Amino acid sequence: MSGDLLNLTLRIWRQAGPNAKGAFRDYQLQGVSTHMSFLEMLDVLNEKLLQAGEEPVAFDHDCREGICGMCSLMINGQAHGPDKATTTCQLHMRRFKNGDTIVIEPWRASAFPVLRDLVVDRSALDRIIQSGGFVSVNTGNAPDGNAIPIPGHVQEVAMDGAACIGCGACVASCKNASAMLFVAAKVSQLSLLPQGHPERASRVIDMVAQMDKEGFGSCTNTSECEAACPAEVSVTHIARLNREYFKAMLITEK
Amino acid sequence: MFLNALTRILSLPAVGLSRIPGLGPLVRACSTSVGQKIVMAITGLSLCGFLVVHLGGNLLLYAGEEKFNAYAHALHSQGALLKVAEVGLFSLFAAHLGLAVSTGAMSRMARSQSYAMKESKQGIFALPAGGASSWMGVTGVLIGIFVITHLLDLRLKMNPLVKYPAPVAAAEGMTPELNEFEVVRTVLSSPINAVVYFIGIFALGIHLTHGLRSAFHSLGLNGRRWDSLLKCGSLLFGWVIAAGFISLIFWSFAVPR
Repeated sequence: MSGDLLNLTLRIWRQAGPNAKGAFRDYQLQGVSTHMSFLEMLDVLNEKLLQAGEEPVAFDHDCREGICGMCSLMINGQAHGPDKATTTCQLHMRRFKNGDTIVIEPWRASAFPVLRDLVVDRSALDRIIQSGGFVSVNTGNAPDGNAIPIPGHVQEVAMDGAACIGCGACVASCKNASAMLFVAAKVSQLSLLPQGHPERASRVIDMVAQMDKEGFGSCTNTSECEAACPAEVSVTHIARLNREYFKAMLITEK
Repeated sequence: MFLNALTRILSLPAVGLSRIPGLGPLVRACSTSVGQKIVMAITGLSLCGFLVVHLGGNLLLYAGEEKFNAYAHALHSQGALLKVAEVGLFSLFAAHLGLAVSTGAMSRMARSQSYAMKESKQGIFALPAGGASSWMGVTGVLIGIFVITHLLDLRLKMNPLVKYPAPVAAAEGMTPELNEFEVVRTVLSSPINAVVYFIGIFALGIHLTHGLRSAFHSLGLNGRRWDSLLKCGSLLFGWVIAAGFISLIFWSFAVPR
């Protein structure tokens, strides 16, 4: 069936290295199965490039199950492509039509320098997590499950924040390249749970300071991050971060 | 380079304030991206409060010449209190504007290379954010231009395009006084002003529909009990304020001389 095979034009950002000048290059790819995932389509392209003796397109990927947060890509101007709550690895080629031109760009943010082609350095997010310090958990015997009572609805909201996979789509889609949704997801879940309370005030102050130091933008409450987030982290977590910061700024010791 | 220099210059007042003993730690906490937004929210909400009072006073125009002039006279005879209020308002405005430029520059620097193609998963007029939130800068500039015109017109009474009515003495031997009711009517019904005021206030309406909700969000004052109320309330507030002020432009043409 010809309907199951697509002929596509891929307009891909090629950049040899961090300091090299990048540019878009067009590639024609024939006979792409609609059952392929987006990354499998790129694998096919790379096979062809290798056969032709060209450099393959570098892109980030790992689990290909939508849980690791490694894949990225700005596909036709949308972080992780056109589907809601979907990572690039879970996007399928049936979403596209025969003859389509697909523009593929790396995440663009000063805090995410391009390393090569579509691969960006997202270690800024790791440094923000590190700045938040640690949560004290005793090792040894497994603690009793009900030793620390946590109301069900609180646990649910905390889990919604913990669902963040750290892919950076919020930064990529935000008009201000702000990392607020990411930082909020981390601050929020720990501020909700009793285990996170000892370092609650210092955590929000330190993480916001590190976020600014990394050169992310500021939040204008546009909610674009929430719409782009593959883990559907809500902007209410940003409000909670603001609240935590306000409190820490005015009424706590640190 | 330019943006870097701009943020340096804009941070000078904060640097100055932090030198005052005891203020340092608080000013530093207010200088982060989140802190700046908190101060922007507080100044924005205070300015919203001013708008409500201002509109309330202006609506007295509908009550007639006598009532409005009595209100204007009472306001103008506050003396030192009025000066303090004016300085306070100016500071709120300046702080709000300075922080907008400062956080805007921060965001501009955060993306040195823009996308060749950028689409959104939100609708263009996604309520309440997507639409108005992308227009805060533009509407802010329009409001700024309007406020300058407005101050020139009615605070300084120096707009060369307006023929101000001459002061009249209420009785023989008394100092001649401006009839504020007549002044307002003359200023509003001048055609160029009517257009400038309409555009400025319309921009204000758009600015408020996102601004009010965004301010609450920046202060962390949200919750599932009243989130939807806040969304609707913000839209309603913006357009009620705008409609109230705009109605006065039409009033100035309709009111018999």
